[in-house]
Amino acid sequence: MNQSLNYLLRRLGFYFIAAWAALTLNFFIPRLMPGDPAAIIFARFRGKLKPEAINALRETFGLTDEPLLGQYWSYLKSILQGDLGISIAYFPEPVTNIISSALLWTIFLAGFSLIISFSLGTLLGTIIAWKRSGKLDSTLPPVLAFVGAFPYFWLAMVALYIFGFELSWFPLGHAYGDDVTPGFNMPFILSALYHAALPALTMILVSLGGWMLSMRNIMITTLGTDYISFAHAKGLSSRLIMLRYAARNAILPNFTGFGMALGFVLSGALLTEIIFSYPGQGYLLLQAVRAQDFPLMQGLFMTITFAVLAANWMVDIAVLFFDPRTRK
Amino acid sequence: MDNNQDSIFTRWIIGILRNRKAITGVVIIFLFIFLAALGPFITQDPTAFLSTPLSPPSWEHWLGTNGQGQDVLAQTISGARQTLLVGFTTGIMVVLIGALIGGISGYYSGRIDDFLSLLINVFLVMPGLPLMVILASWLPPGPATLTGVLVLTGWAWNARVIRSQMMTFRSRDFVSAAIVSGEHNIRIIVLEIMPRMLSLLASSFIGASIYAIGAQVGLEFLGLGDVSTVTWGTNLYWASNDMALLTGSWWNFVPTGLSIAIVSFALTLINFGIDEVTNPRLIAERVWREKIPIDTVVNGITPVVKDHE
Amino acid sequence: MNNSVISIQNLCVNYITPGDPVKAVNDVSFEIQQGEIFGLVGESGSGKSTVVQAVLRTLPPPAVITGGKVIINNKDILSISNTEVLQYRWKQISIVMQSALNALNPVLTVREQIEDVLKEHSDLKGKAAEDRTKELLSLIDIDVSRLDSYPHQLSGGMRQRVVIAIALALMPPLIIMDEPTTALDVIVEREILAKIIELRKELGFTILFITHDLNLLLEFADRVAIMKNGRLVELDKAQKIRSGGKHDYTQKLIRSLPSASGPREKGLLPKPKSLVLGDQPILEVQNLSKSFYDSGIFNPMSIDVVNNVSFQVFPGEIIGLVGESGSGKSTIAKLITRLIRPTSGDIFLKGSNLKISEARRVPLEYRKQVQMVFQDPFGSLNSVHTVYHHLARPLLRHQLIPEQKLFDYINEMLETVGLRPGTTFAEKFPHEMSGGERQRVAIARALSLSPDLIIADEPTSMLDVSIRMEILEIFARMRIEKNLTIVFITHDLASARYLADRIIVLQHGSIVEEGIAEDLIQSPKEAYTKQLIKAASPGWLKSLSFKNTKEKDVNHV
Repeated sequence: MNQSLNYLLRRLGFYFIAAWAALTLNFFIPRLMPGDPAAIIFARFRGKLKPEAINALRETFGLTDEPLLGQYWSYLKSILQGDLGISIAYFPEPVTNIISSALLWTIFLAGFSLIISFSLGTLLGTIIAWKRSGKLDSTLPPVLAFVGAFPYFWLAMVALYIFGFELSWFPLGHAYGDDVTPGFNMPFILSALYHAALPALTMILVSLGGWMLSMRNIMITTLGTDYISFAHAKGLSSRLIMLRYAARNAILPNFTGFGMALGFVLSGALLTEIIFSYPGQGYLLLQAVRAQDFPLMQGLFMTITFAVLAANWMVDIAVLFFDPRTRK
Repeated sequence: MDNNQDSIFTRWIIGILRNRKAITGVVIIFLFIFLAALGPFITQDPTAFLSTPLSPPSWEHWLGTNGQGQDVLAQTISGARQTLLVGFTTGIMVVLIGALIGGISGYYSGRIDDFLSLLINVFLVMPGLPLMVILASWLPPGPATLTGVLVLTGWAWNARVIRSQMMTFRSRDFVSAAIVSGEHNIRIIVLEIMPRMLSLLASSFIGASIYAIGAQVGLEFLGLGDVSTVTWGTNLYWASNDMALLTGSWWNFVPTGLSIAIVSFALTLINFGIDEVTNPRLIAERVWREKIPIDTVVNGITPVVKDHE
Repeated sequence: MNNSVISIQNLCVNYITPGDPVKAVNDVSFEIQQGEIFGLVGESGSGKSTVVQAVLRTLPPPAVITGGKVIINNKDILSISNTEVLQYRWKQISIVMQSALNALNPVLTVREQIEDVLKEHSDLKGKAAEDRTKELLSLIDIDVSRLDSYPHQLSGGMRQRVVIAIALALMPPLIIMDEPTTALDVIVEREILAKIIELRKELGFTILFITHDLNLLLEFADRVAIMKNGRLVELDKAQKIRSGGKHDYTQKLIRSLPSASGPREKGLLPKPKSLVLGDQPILEVQNLSKSFYDSGIFNPMSIDVVNNVSFQVFPGEIIGLVGESGSGKSTIAKLITRLIRPTSGDIFLKGSNLKISEARRVPLEYRKQVQMVFQDPFGSLNSVHTVYHHLARPLLRHQLIPEQKLFDYINEMLETVGLRPGTTFAEKFPHEMSGGERQRVAIARALSLSPDLIIADEPTSMLDVSIRMEILEIFARMRIEKNLTIVFITHDLASARYLADRIIVLQHGSIVEEGIAEDLIQSPKEAYTKQLIKAASPGWLKSLSFKNTKEKDVNHV
């Protein structure tokens, strides 16, 4: 058990390094661009903030008159204290407030879609790989691959158009209707689910192919191993072999792949939110770009990165838990 | 008498092109490139504000017009040019960087590998879109920025895969034999190992191009590209801005979206083809499936098909 | 009297390819009688494994059974329904698979993998199943505490025993053993085999034993069948085969097997008329040690692979470095060829200290003087290059032969190692040649630089038995013709006896014994050496049968 803990701590250490790298990148990017970053940012704030507030903001970004290292230090301090500055687009709200409410919606929508997509895709991949011959294996992979070739948000557009606009089966956007009040009440929850349905469906559809294909490929390799042949020779039932012998082994590398693809999948989810005006991180990103709201942009970059790192670490824990080869 | 690099490469290409899936994909891609190159000569001027905005497909404008009254067909074909250019350029650069960093890391191991691996993993784990957004916002819009940003966020994946392959080859005896013969390391990497990695490099290029096209379109959709140029991404940006959805003008975004999907799918086909060529077992199994009557196939039980009695 | 447990009649199996199908098994027929040990022998590509997998119908795609009958218990397994096939498996026949080390599911415990067979085919549940599982484990000398271990936590020998326990679970009338011990070290192998035979006497099942090692089989089989290229070429009682058999191929197989004990037979490998060694060793190894730091994620530790080894090799002699897996012999090969650096110690070539612990670069001159032949003939050649390229590169690198003369020189080298005509072989790619041909190319490559010393790391262990002697012969001839010194590394004491002048025995990274080959074989001094010789000699079965083969956890047997 000691060794597993050791491993997890090493992975955590790696994630800290990655987080630090992200922070540092965030710090240096404005400074590497042509022009004075301070001037660019504060031009947008002119007339809106009192001088003291502007100074406070300078502290946040480390755009003080100190030498570079000093700036870096004050910047880090602000971040670690949770101060991400003030948004331009949503002035005068602090960035942290704006992001935290949006974060929940993104986790709800993207998390939900991701879990369903991954589970369904993995299951499909298992079945398809098992039934080696058959119409399923020759039609489903190419079809899903084609569907997956469309940009996420484009499919969202088409779905919104057909099901929202033309057929009116689903709402045209937002996270919940105007007729409900947010809170832990049934109408609200139902409304939230109803509004999440179409965006979730598009996300699931686009990413399904990817998970299915990767599980299928790993399964095919697994099915060629000696221990599967041995399992067949033992006369065990088909279902037992498919699940307990093949899938149980194949899912481990798939899990790892899941962790790695997380960042990529999240990006697609963000763009989908935009189409549906869903009040998550993606929608915020768009507003930030439109308004050139650098504090918000950089805040989003931070939170999304940290979220992905945290999720990766949880996947590491899960893999460790499920793979007995990690036990000595 | 001796086999030089050219013939290894030629033999490999011929092998790939024999594959049905690969050749289909290649033909489609070349079709698009051809159309894109010919663009200005065969279509109307995509930037001209000609007719009534948002008019549906007609004989005058085969795919209708967009929110500014520009011809959608022209926009679609013309948009291919920059999108494909940036996409493939990014692909090549990503593979070059990946081969360099992944190759060195995988071959030399030790502290170089520790450092480069860390670098690769850090870039791999950071989510691409937010980083791209920040970079693209600070930089002047245009294809150069796009390419740079895409390469920066996309190089790590391939580097890791190439590193992994390099490590496998490095431990093989033919590399040890070359070392024992006194060959220089660089020569071993380039002349002994790289020729074995042609398929991997090719599918890395294709994978990176697919990623580049998709991500590029995403960024431009957000408004981070040069919105005055005509690309597939900016087409969709304007379509969204002009409320294409809410006005029901589907022709505004469907052709571009379809084109993107077809190109990505064609590239994926090529990759499937390369997979089949490198793993001949896949083909053998396909042929087996075709020759055995369907009802005798059960997983785990060898079929009995008597050819004589 | 029809006492046959299984009757195979005119079995035909094809592998489907994009082109013409490959006939893996072509009209094979034989019967096995109740209670006998039936051996099936063949080299790679003979079809022996295909036959047994066809019997269970576990051949993966692209295989198809195209003809014949397999009759067990009065039913033809090739014409029954799929559900009936599942019932046949394990109840009527069970199998101990080739590379059984991989036969176990890595994510399930030993207990689970024995119990699932019991649950599937019998009525045993819960406590009864567990009892039966424990019973099976003790039958095969595995400690019951291993019940909840995972396969990766067991040694190779233990995993093998678990697989045998699973095969015995339902006590089927016929147990097939497909190269069950090939991957194990010779001492462990012999012990497990002795155990199997003892169990057979006790429990009375019939064994179909497949192997490429005819020598092994003749020790304990009742009848032996020999396959070549998908056909059965000989089938007779073991004694008759031992004395020569009818078919040419059988005789060829018998002659290819050197023995590790008894008097030296005729037909020896060529040796120089007089072996005058001189007093200056060409290679001297002093206090060589190598430890690997396994920076594994879970359990970083230091492994001593080579432990303070010292020996000398004199010009013109062939030294046999003999050891089992883990003895450090391959690491020593890599140290001498300077593919890796030692943790401590020195190597002297022709008297001068190479200072290998400090030197970062290996001088080109060294690469000319010391060459290597690797174990895997396919892996040591680059599949994208022709034979010509493999031989030309080193020559160009060392600038030994002017370009115009290169072509002729290479042809000559190829013909020296027996590849005639050289011009044809020069244009071939590795996959166009057989294993033996590839190994000859590897030898030619090593010889082309006219080295002083050649390290041959298990050069024949991945080749078919019938051609091993030919390869050893090349080494023996080259030693004389090219004035070479050879360090011949192997796990097979018998081949070392045949090729080497002196033998050094290694165990766990240290030298156990060394001496002149014949002397060492006839009168070994150390216990380990005696063990090795006994295991490799005829009569090993008798000597083991009376011993109590309790599992040795310490040696990870």
